[in-house]
Formats: sequence, C-alpha cells, structure tokens
Amino acid sequence: MLGSRTSSLFSLMLPLVLLVVSVSAGCGGGSGEESGFRVALLTPGSIADGGWNAGAYSGLLRIRDELGARVSHVETRTPAEFEESFRDYASRGYDLIFGHGFEYQDAAARVGAEFPSSVFVTTSGNTVRANVVPMVFELEQATYLCGVLAARMSRSGRLGLIGGIDLPSIRSTFLAFKGGAQAARAGVEVREVFIGNFDDTAAAREAALALLEEDVDFVLHQANEAGRGVFQAVAERVEKGERVYAFGTNRNQNDMAPEAVIASATLNIPAAFVEVARRVKQGRFEARPLRLGMASDIVRLEMNERLQGRIPSEVAEELVRLGEQIRKGELVVPRGAF
Amino acid sequence: MTGWWPRGLARRHVVERFASDTLRAAGAVLFASLIAGVVIAALGFSPVEAIRALLAGSLIGPAALTATLLKTGPLLLTGLAVALCFRCGVWNIGAEGQLYAGALLATLVATRWLVGAPAVLVLPCLILAGALGGALWAAIAGALRVMRGVNEVISTILLNFVAIQLVSLAVHGPLQESAGAYPQSDALAQAARLPELARIHLGIPIAVLLALAGSFLLFHTAAGFRMRAVGLSPVAARFAGIVPERQLLLTICLAGALAGLAGAFEVSGVTGRLFESLSPGYGYTAIAVALLARLHPLAVVPSAFFFGVLEAGGGAMQREAGVPAVATDLVKGIVILLSIGFAAGVGGVRRVGPVARAPTSLSGPQADGEVL
Repeated sequence: MLGSRTSSLFSLMLPLVLLVVSVSAGCGGGSGEESGFRVALLTPGSIADGGWNAGAYSGLLRIRDELGARVSHVETRTPAEFEESFRDYASRGYDLIFGHGFEYQDAAARVGAEFPSSVFVTTSGNTVRANVVPMVFELEQATYLCGVLAARMSRSGRLGLIGGIDLPSIRSTFLAFKGGAQAARAGVEVREVFIGNFDDTAAAREAALALLEEDVDFVLHQANEAGRGVFQAVAERVEKGERVYAFGTNRNQNDMAPEAVIASATLNIPAAFVEVARRVKQGRFEARPLRLGMASDIVRLEMNERLQGRIPSEVAEELVRLGEQIRKGELVVPRGAF
Repeated sequence: MTGWWPRGLARRHVVERFASDTLRAAGAVLFASLIAGVVIAALGFSPVEAIRALLAGSLIGPAALTATLLKTGPLLLTGLAVALCFRCGVWNIGAEGQLYAGALLATLVATRWLVGAPAVLVLPCLILAGALGGALWAAIAGALRVMRGVNEVISTILLNFVAIQLVSLAVHGPLQESAGAYPQSDALAQAARLPELARIHLGIPIAVLLALAGSFLLFHTAAGFRMRAVGLSPVAARFAGIVPERQLLLTICLAGALAGLAGAFEVSGVTGRLFESLSPGYGYTAIAVALLARLHPLAVVPSAFFFGVLEAGGGAMQREAGVPAVATDLVKGIVILLSIGFAAGVGGVRRVGPVARAPTSLSGPQADGEVL
C-alpha cells in the first residue's frame, strides 16, 4: 500500500522530468558566452507603473540603444528573489546590475562580495562596498525650490505634503520642501500626511481635500500613482474658483491637471541610469555614492507654462537665482540622513 | 485507526483513489503547460525558449534548484496548513496572515528579546515563536467561528490584511532597524540564522518531515480520524461523541502553527531581516498547492515543489527569455487555474450555516470518497 502510494506520488512529477530531459537535451552545447557590455535591472514592481519602475526600465532601454549594451530585466518582489536574481546575473558575467530601490542593499552587498567583477548599483541606499554603491538622486534640490515658490505665493501661509509610504527618501524630499518654505517665509506652516501606499488614488484625494479644508493652498505629493487623487482634489477646488495649486513630482505632471499643477519637481531617471552605465563602461567607477542632481541636469524644476503668469516676477527670478546657486554647489539644501 | 473497517476494501479503495488522483494531477500539469505555451506564443515570444528558461532556471543546476527549494519550503508549510484545515471542514484562507504573524513574533524574539543569546537557545525559541505566532493568529478566527459563529472564510481573509499591516507597522516603528533609515528590522545575529547547506536552510527538511508527520497524524492517529470525521460530517461526528468545535479550534491552531513556521523560516533562513514584502503571496498560492495535492499531506510535497518550480522559473523566464513579468504572472495564473480545475472533485464543497447558531451543521469543504 505504501509502495503504490509513493510511486503514484512520484509519477506526478514524471511529466515534469520528461520535459526537463527533452528540453535540456535540445539546448545542450553552443552556449558560448558573448562578450560586450551587459547590464541587468531588478525592479521591485511592474515596469508598467508609469513611474518609478517604468523610468528605470526606459533607462535600461536607453543604455541598450546609446551604449550598445546587452540588457535584461526581471521583476523581483521579495528579498529572497533579490539575491537569487543578483546571483544569477553575476554568475552569467553581467558587468553592471541595478537594484531599483533601497531594499536591494543587503542582497547586493552579499552577492557583490562573491562576484567582484560585477558592479552593483542600488537606487538610493547607504551601503558602499568595493563594487556596490547607491545612486542618490537629489530630488530635494527641486522640492526645496517648490517650498520657496509655495511659501512666497501662499495666501494662507499653510502648505501641505502628501506622501505614499513613509520612507526615508520621501521624508527627505519633504524636509527640503519645508526648508525651502521656511527660508523663504518665516512662520509658514507645513502639514504632512502619509496615506500608507502608492496606489490608492481615492485615499490621496481624501487626504488632499482634508488639507484644502484646513486652508492649505499648495500641495506637494510624493505618492506615485496615487498622486492623481491629489490633482483631482486640487482641480475640483480650482474649478470652484479657488486659488489652490499642486506640485507634480518625479516626472513632469504639469499636463495631468493643467489648471492645478503649477510646477513639477522632475527626476530624469532614465538619464541617471545612462550616466551611471556610461561611467562604469568607461572604467570611471568609484566606490562611493553616485550623487545625481540639478548639476547634471537629472533633477529639474519644470514650470507649467499655462500658470506661469500667476507667479510674481520677483519670485520667478528668485527661483532662477537659487537654482543657479544649487547647481554651483553654493546652496546646499537640507536632506535626510539615510 | 481503520481497524473497524474491512481492511481489504479500504486498501483497494485507497489505491484506486491515488491512481486516479495522480493521473488527474499529471494531466492538469501537462494541459496547463500546453495552454501556457499557446499564450506565450500569442504574446509574441518563443514558447520553446520561454519554457526552456523556466525549467532551466528552476531545475537545472545547483543555483536553480536552490531557488526552487527556497520557494518550495514556505509553499509546503502553508500548503499543509490549508490541506489540514480543509480536511477538517475549516476554510482557512489565512495562511498568508499566519505566516506574517509567525515571522513577526520570531523577529521579535531574535532582534529584541534574545539578542546575543547563543544559537542553542535562540534558534529553538525563534522557531517556537514562529509557530506560536501563527497559531495565535489562527486561533482568533477559530474562536470567532466557535464562539460567535463568524464565517472563517471572511475572518481569515481579513486577518491576512491585519497581519500584513501589523508587520508594516512594526518595521516602521518598534521593530525598525536601529539605524532608523529603512522600513526593515535589524539584521538577525548569526546565532539566530538557521543552519544552511549551500543556501538550503534547515527549515526545508523540517517542512518535509512535517508533511510526513501530517500524513501520519491524519491517517494513522485517533486525533486525525476525529479531524476527518468532522470534515466529512460534523453531525455524524457529534453523534459519535466528537466535539466538532474542539476539532475545529485544534486544527486551525495547528495549521496556523505550520504557516507561522514558514514565516519564521523565511526570516531566519532566507532574508535575515523582517521586511514588509516578506511573502509574495505564499499563503494564497498555498490554497492551490493543497487543492492540487487533493488535500493529502504527502502529496503536498510534490505539489509545493511544482509551484516552487513555477515561482523560480517565472523569474528565469524574465531574465533569460525576456518574457515580461506580466506574461509570466499570466502563465502562472493559467497553470494554477487549470491545475485546480483538473484536481477538482475535491469538490463536494458544501457549507452550511455557522456552528454557533446551528451546532449540528458544522460543515465545510470535504474530500470526496475518503475512507474513514
């Protein structure tokens, strides 16, 4: 009885075994490693998200087109998968492997120690090894300017911030916004709300409405896709004739609500990926964090031309002047330690 | 405990059942692969290349097998948790939450309560904490069902979200790493990490042993007999002097302990920290694992391995064949659906009102044709 039971259990696996045998027989030999620059990307979510991951993927495609690299991408959801994919790419001789988020640091450090000839770059983070570095976007430089603009133009003196998940990178951009606002106008009040995720548009809308109800007249969001809800809320108020504004973040979102979004703090993630890959390909890699901001034109403050007339000219001039100082390194904006 | 039943009849029946089950499962896997191939081709990728990548990335070579086994472990434990519950007529959809609860308590032990303790002390405590966390979490649903008649399908599903949010809260607050930067716990000390051989941690052989133990419990002990009796007919069981409510509570706690172990093993054996996205939905896939195994604890082993192949191979399909993640998810979904469809007949899935209102109608999913 036991015999038949176990043998029938094993026969469940039989079709699989047959498949493996036939497939591995069919693909044996001729796997000669190709030479050339090879780059891989691990993303924590879908590259169809129109934001964080989509930007990384289009960066990867630009690396392929502009640097002639062979590229590969994988979506990894859990820490166990991070290490598995790092290891797989490194063992197949990839030169540069991106992990698109702070959460890849541990896995990169572990696998990096075993594969010294591959370079591992995590998007944000603070882990540095001989062949493992974070790239750090200085979006804070642009949100600082948003803070200045909002504080200068606000009537109520109350500004709002809406975040997705409470992450250090997001807190840091908020810190810079507050820094800019307070530098421009003492006593300005900044309120912040986290909705706990990046996709609940309705929650973001509710949060924005609640802030607007409290006389907040400028709202900056860091909620990725959920940010749409912030624009909806602000646009509703604009339609009623109120002078309230939103800021876009990460990419140019001025067209998403052309009457409500006054400017966007943009991060050109694809350009950042190309810049990093170019440095690695040319052998200019250094074991220290790669800082990418307004100086390399990867971070910008892009104004909405339709609303530009509302900005007083002295404020517009101030923004240009401050931007120049940031680019030259004369003005260092506050950022969180992470 | 089949002594009272004519032995010859039981044996023949069991053998026949296993033969037909195995044929069905194998047919399901083959048919699902065919459909998946057609879908991959329709999406514009080479099905041969994709399936080659899937199998090569999950079965060929030590790295691939390791990846598969690391996913088989949690699927096996959560699959067992679901199978045992379904056998007893308890719809436990909460293995995911129980996994997270186990991981949470295990992390608490490792990074807060027993910091610096030697491995001989911290490892058993961590494993027990995992089991206890999962069991307590499951007990909430069990108690609600027994005491208030709350449908456990609803309560276990909802408790999943609560557990996941609790972990999220923990890694943003009390359990956050002391550096305070990222939403993750401190790294577990080496003493709190499960021993491993070529990255295969101790939790995986333990899971296989637990499948054997589960099978023994279910088919060769009085306790297992009572569980199955309640699953088949709570009314008849009650007439035979079994208290269905007690069986229900015992079973769901046992299941919770198994799922909680999976969480503790993930933290201690694989990631070395508690994260928000610790599980890619093992506790949900576990339902498919249990159904494909036709609720037999031993068959959960190959069934979990099969889903482990799918999980690990899905990544390889992206990396090597360039098939995008959405397409690999689609293929996984098709395979799961078809496997369950084929393996169905676990059907007879009946369900009558809650036990508190009508104590004589404690009923739930049943394995058809099982000989008591």
